[in-house]
Amino acid sequence: MGLETFNHSEPLTLGVELELQLVNTHDYDLAPYAEDMLRLMEKHPLPGSVVPEMTSGMIEVSTGICHSSSEVLGQLTQIRDALVKCADKLNIAVVGGGTHPFQQWHERRIYDKPRFRELSDLYGYLSKQFTIFGQHVHIGCPDADSALLMLHRMSRFIPHFIALSASSPYIQGQDTAFDSARLNSVFAFPLSGRAPMALTWRDFEVYFDKMTHTGVVRSMKDFYWDIRPKPEFGTIEIRVFDTPLTIERAAALSGFVQSLGAWFLADQPFMPQEDDYLVYTYNRFQACRFGMDAVYVDPATGGHMPLREHIMRTIDQIAGHAAAHGATGALHLLRSEAAAGQNDARWFRERQREEQLLAEVTRQAAQRFRGRD
Amino acid sequence: MNELMNFWAQWLRPSAGLPTVQWSLLLAVAAIAGHLLQRHVGLPKVVGYTLVGTLAGLAGFSGAPWPLQGISLFLLELGLAVVLFEAGGRIPLRWFRHNPMVLVQSIAESALTYFAVYWTLAWLGLERQVAGPLALVALAASPSVLTRVVADNRAAGPVTERAIVLSTLSTLYALTLGSARAELMNRSSITFSDTVSPVMVVLGVSIVVAAALALALRTALRFMAPTSENTSIMLLTLVAAATAVAAHMGGSAPLAALLGAMLLKQFNPRPWAWPRQLGNASALLTMLMFVLVSTVAAQADWSGRVAGLVLALIAVRLVAKVVGVALGNVGSGASWRQALLVASAMTPMSSIALLIASQFVVASPQTGPLIAQIALPAILLMEVAGAVIATLAIYRAGESSKPWAPLTTRESAGENHGS
Repeated sequence: MGLETFNHSEPLTLGVELELQLVNTHDYDLAPYAEDMLRLMEKHPLPGSVVPEMTSGMIEVSTGICHSSSEVLGQLTQIRDALVKCADKLNIAVVGGGTHPFQQWHERRIYDKPRFRELSDLYGYLSKQFTIFGQHVHIGCPDADSALLMLHRMSRFIPHFIALSASSPYIQGQDTAFDSARLNSVFAFPLSGRAPMALTWRDFEVYFDKMTHTGVVRSMKDFYWDIRPKPEFGTIEIRVFDTPLTIERAAALSGFVQSLGAWFLADQPFMPQEDDYLVYTYNRFQACRFGMDAVYVDPATGGHMPLREHIMRTIDQIAGHAAAHGATGALHLLRSEAAAGQNDARWFRERQREEQLLAEVTRQAAQRFRGRD
Repeated sequence: MNELMNFWAQWLRPSAGLPTVQWSLLLAVAAIAGHLLQRHVGLPKVVGYTLVGTLAGLAGFSGAPWPLQGISLFLLELGLAVVLFEAGGRIPLRWFRHNPMVLVQSIAESALTYFAVYWTLAWLGLERQVAGPLALVALAASPSVLTRVVADNRAAGPVTERAIVLSTLSTLYALTLGSARAELMNRSSITFSDTVSPVMVVLGVSIVVAAALALALRTALRFMAPTSENTSIMLLTLVAAATAVAAHMGGSAPLAALLGAMLLKQFNPRPWAWPRQLGNASALLTMLMFVLVSTVAAQADWSGRVAGLVLALIAVRLVAKVVGVALGNVGSGASWRQALLVASAMTPMSSIALLIASQFVVASPQTGPLIAQIALPAILLMEVAGAVIATLAIYRAGESSKPWAPLTTRESAGENHGS
């Protein structure tokens, strides 16, 4: 199968996907209720869609095509309210966060769908360990070449995205010392990491053809890159975000992506190059490990600085574009969080220090998702 | 058997008395049987416990008096109280506000079971004074069997959860009405207030004890970690104390534990963290309960007529539970298939039914034996068959985390759905 044609989309439009956890309400472990949730959600007319994910304690919701982060928030609010209603009916709760803090991966069950079974056969236990929860942000690109350009420019800001969304410090009951341990699970997959340096769609087609010729991949779905082109939507898809604990933060992150995209398209601020990737993995590790306290190595200058400072500096730099797209509030939220060194991973650790019970922290996280702090 | 026991009693004089040795060895054999049955046949361990208890009962094992009394009654009540405390903690009252159909489902299946069994037995020629109590015995599903099956299979999911909740609620009705009915059995004139007052007494005393239990635990949990071993021990001992007090004051001990857990869950919505800590202590108590139930139940007198009535009771009960759960299923958030599987998972009868039957026997020397004659075989059969049906239902629902043993290597290593 060849590479799909890159479809047209309106530049800088947004689409947000959230992978969410379904937990029971007695011990707050993951609960296999995806099928029941999907059945109940069908009765609610909503924007976007609700679909199953790899294991049966997960679902994925997505918005329709949005023009601003406030529209994203509006749609996510409708979806969230319906989710909460259905969850109440089933006596379960819906929770954000990049990992479930204490679930045991071996207890998970693969959702009964051909593609998931196929992946389970191929990846073995990795597929159950893939019970992790991310936010994907799609951003519309004017054309295929612009999409690749935007993809590689966006790569410089992967650490920013990771630190701002990190919400997976605990895995199987242990503090991993990472703010985003989720991304370590993604790294286990053979086709994860960065996209190859191709700045024209023609070059990307050549790369894709070579890969399909090897038999390793059949479609774009087989790539687990941090950012990947999505030709059928005419977008690029950023996949490094942990699912935040609130829809407000999820919408704010989409506003950040949109403002960056607007800056790239309007100002063409820099030209991506292969050398950007010399520090890519290091910066990515720093952000996963230390979150807001990470060190950021500027790919262009090689200079080191605290990541949170670079986040604030970037936000200031794109403030004008944010205002033009109604994302000022979103960026204000992220800026103040960065200034305070706060993210959801820190919230998890603070709550756990107080409660000494991850199940209780999960219950409180479920309350946050409902909009009750 | 008795000669052997007498010889043994003379030869062995243990510090804690011979019954302790007998019970300890019986439980050891039951544990082995449960393990082997699950390991090699894939049947739930409960079946092994029940078979060993049945054999002991048939062989004339004298360690379990009937009707239940003394330490065996207390142990049964304590085991039940612990199971129901755990089950009650899974029932947040706010769920019924969001999904009242679950409550409708519960009432429908319980009411239908009661009336269907009552009318069928009356139609088959049983007196009303016998058919009525038997219908109450049949009403109770067994959360104890179900939760053991669930634990054995590490099951979780909508069918499992709903079956536990509906079983627990049916237990609540059966315990309240059963205890009250036992009170009424010896009264000659029955007015409305005569009928209602025992229900009020059983419920009232149980609620008072439940509230005290919930309050004590709520207070303790303010400064004790829910995952601590000491918290688990405190919980177990407080439930034991509440069991003794509730029974003494005229309430129902298991009912008090169940209501206590529901109250605690209502006022302390924090996660239920101690079942994993209670672990082995709870498992031993429930195992003891299953062996005790089957030992006692196996002592029933059988006849052709009794066998027919027992089978009729079981069949009608099964159909009534299916129809009742299905009737209340509309708008309850479950599919029809799930409703059928939930009803199937609710078929076990065990300790609660035995406890209620025992109350009837104590209350009425005339009708009690007639009730026990049918109730005991039914309980025995449905402790075994019910456990198997519940296991199959959970597998068919795809909610078990363990493969049905023995399986091929590939299936064990790969996906482990039962269906």
